Amino acid sequence: MTGPAPAPAAERPTTDQRAASDANGAAPSSLAPTGRGLWRRARWYLAFLATLLIAAIGITVLGNDRHYPPLDPRSYDADGSHAVVALLEQQGLKAELTTDPTTAQGGADTLVLPEPDLLDPAQLRAVAAARHQRLILIAPGPAALSALAPGVRTSEEDGDVPYASVRGTAAHCPLPEAVRAGSASMGGMLYTSGSRGEGCYPRGHGYPLVSAPTTAGDVIVLGSGLFLHNGELAKDGNASLALGLLGSQPRLTWHLPDYSAPLAEGTGTKTFNDYIPKGWRWAGYQLAVAAVLAALWRARRLGPVVSENLPVVVRAAETTEGRARLYRRAKARGRAADALRRAAAHRLAPALGVPLQAGAPDPEALCAAVADRLPERPAGDVRALLYGPPPTDDAALLRLADDLDALERQVRNP
Amino acid sequence: MALTGRTALLAALGALVVGLLLPSPAGLGIVTGAVLLAVLVDLVLAAPVRSLRIVRGGETTVRLGESVSVELAVTNPSGRPLRALVRDAWAPSAWRPGTAEASSRHTLTVPAGERRRAVSVLTPSRRGDHHAHRVTVRSLGPLGLAGRQGSHHVPWTVRALPPFASRKHLPSRLSRLRELDGRTSVLTRGQGTEFDSLREYLPGDDVRSIDWRASARRNTVAVRTWRPERDRHILVVLDTGRTSAGRVGDAPRLDASLDAALLLTALATRAGDRVDLLAHDTRKRAAVAGSSPHEILPAFTNAMALLEPALHETDMRSLVSTALKMAPHRSLIVLLTGLDAAPVEDGLRPLLPLLTKRHEVVLASVADPHLDVLAAGRGTTEAVYGAAAAEQTRADRRHTADRLTRHGVTVLDAPPAQIAPALADTYLALKAAGRL
Repeated sequence: MTGPAPAPAAERPTTDQRAASDANGAAPSSLAPTGRGLWRRARWYLAFLATLLIAAIGITVLGNDRHYPPLDPRSYDADGSHAVVALLEQQGLKAELTTDPTTAQGGADTLVLPEPDLLDPAQLRAVAAARHQRLILIAPGPAALSALAPGVRTSEEDGDVPYASVRGTAAHCPLPEAVRAGSASMGGMLYTSGSRGEGCYPRGHGYPLVSAPTTAGDVIVLGSGLFLHNGELAKDGNASLALGLLGSQPRLTWHLPDYSAPLAEGTGTKTFNDYIPKGWRWAGYQLAVAAVLAALWRARRLGPVVSENLPVVVRAAETTEGRARLYRRAKARGRAADALRRAAAHRLAPALGVPLQAGAPDPEALCAAVADRLPERPAGDVRALLYGPPPTDDAALLRLADDLDALERQVRNP
Repeated sequence: MALTGRTALLAALGALVVGLLLPSPAGLGIVTGAVLLAVLVDLVLAAPVRSLRIVRGGETTVRLGESVSVELAVTNPSGRPLRALVRDAWAPSAWRPGTAEASSRHTLTVPAGERRRAVSVLTPSRRGDHHAHRVTVRSLGPLGLAGRQGSHHVPWTVRALPPFASRKHLPSRLSRLRELDGRTSVLTRGQGTEFDSLREYLPGDDVRSIDWRASARRNTVAVRTWRPERDRHILVVLDTGRTSAGRVGDAPRLDASLDAALLLTALATRAGDRVDLLAHDTRKRAAVAGSSPHEILPAFTNAMALLEPALHETDMRSLVSTALKMAPHRSLIVLLTGLDAAPVEDGLRPLLPLLTKRHEVVLASVADPHLDVLAAGRGTTEAVYGAAAAEQTRADRRHTADRLTRHGVTVLDAPPAQIAPALADTYLALKAAGRL
């Protein structure tokens, strides 16, 4: 007797619902959902949405997945430079990051410029005037070189190949840091040392590392910053070279290039938006709001679509048409001719007064009757038409059909 | 809730205000906020849909092809006037094709506490029961910007009866029936077998019908008149199996069969015969037995309205046994089925002796006029092969009909337009010959 017990409990909500809807003044015929019904219908969607939201928040909070450009000291990626900065800070160096190299104070410090070509001439002049003890330029172009490393040039200007692939290279120079490090991953842009500079890690006629004295200290021009990457630091003497080059001064300033900043010169062509007065952009947004409202207006149906079970449409003649196609595909001329001849005979017999036996007239009697009616036609011709051999090709079949029609016409109107 | 085009227009005009007067995010917010506030006010002031009382009325039956009015009475019990767009939703085949959108929608204005009516005119294009789906009401607010929307379930059923298009043939067949009956003065001898009365000899009467014994008793020459038998039993059997589903022209074979059955029923009822109906495929679909003469046609059309061709092979054994149960005494059994070789040869022919042993059997089948078109095709290879196939089909049907005729069955094979009068004529011929 445990079975029926839950039934009244299950019914109760519906009776409650009925009472509630009557209390609200709803007509009994109304199909408007009640609050309880809405909740029952929507709760799984709401649960799904809530799960999705929680998962999204969780992923955003837990996985701090920011993407930095290469050679960024904040990046833990293989092409970041967090490792070398962390090593330097362990040794008591004071490292700071800046987006504007002109604000860095000069003196006993090292300034790293990973993208010196992104600085405009005024910034380059300001950097040169700040008298940094050591300047490290990574893959500078001619403009940055002439401003910051006088005397050093890209090997291209000497008519040489300006570029070499990065690989382990021996130092071959008296620069103390390079001597300590020994072989290192060097390559990239190649430079000439000039009269006062010192070139290291020679590749062809150029050097991927050139050290040149300046008025305040020295400048290191690097063809590639690859040996500073987290992923490369453990190879060869890369770590030693990096620590030696960056750690010579008590302070390190690392420039974070602003890749999003527009190039100083060469402003792009004006787009359509530039010709619209500023205020009308908001009118455009208002028009978009109007479009959304129009979409809502058109999207709301006046009740659901009514569906209906439709009968299957089977044309009665379909099997006959199928049979015709089969005849044609099988080239069943004999069978087709036979059907046409039998039909013609069946129509001719009553017109000529020939009795039908089992649905078909006697051939002899029919031919004789036709010959009686049409004395001008040779009897053999009629017999061949009605009971002759099957046609050999489609043209003969067409002719046979036309001849049978002609015979019928002649018999009916001699 | 539903918006109207006015809301979108208002928002679009608001773009001018934003562009000229308040070109800022604040301006955008103010204009959009104002529009939304107006929508909200409209929604609050609109008459409630949920509390509307909707009652239906009107007709419940219609002949296929004719129109019927179904009205909706909408009572607005709230204190606010109702300005509403009402959609009376029915299945698409309940409306005249192409007008479903226009004729299902009504614009209603119902003052507070009053009642108004909307009339939907249905023209069903399919036989059978058509059910009202739901009534959706969109109650617009006083500004016409937005409205509340809701649906009510207000059931109603309109039954579309078979059209009985062949009733135009009834008067001519009735006059021939009267000729048979001897009620009109005919010069030929009454052909029935049942003695009717004696009347005075008129020049032209067949001298063989003079009753000499009666003439001797009076001083004029009396002739005997005969009339056909009355109170015969007719059982119309509709085969609703797969052969009845084939479309001939624009309608299934079954529709033409129903038409023929209705004409026969009307005629036979006038002739004083009792008519019963059986519709059968794999099982009994409808049966009408023992109706009194004045209610027989409504009973038949009602039963026929719901018949649909089934896509199964008919169970002939079950059909024949049901028919025999419904016709315990000698009857005319009119079997409306197909003449396709396979079902007739395998299903019906072995069972025919059971029927013909005691009953007169007529088998009526709807022919396809498209076969004639196909058979007349000439000129191209395709047309000639089509003609050959059509001739083959016709020959097969003739062959089947001949075999049935040899069993003592009267076979009719006529196109849909002629099947009803042909069946009526066959009935009259059988009656005249006294074979009922």
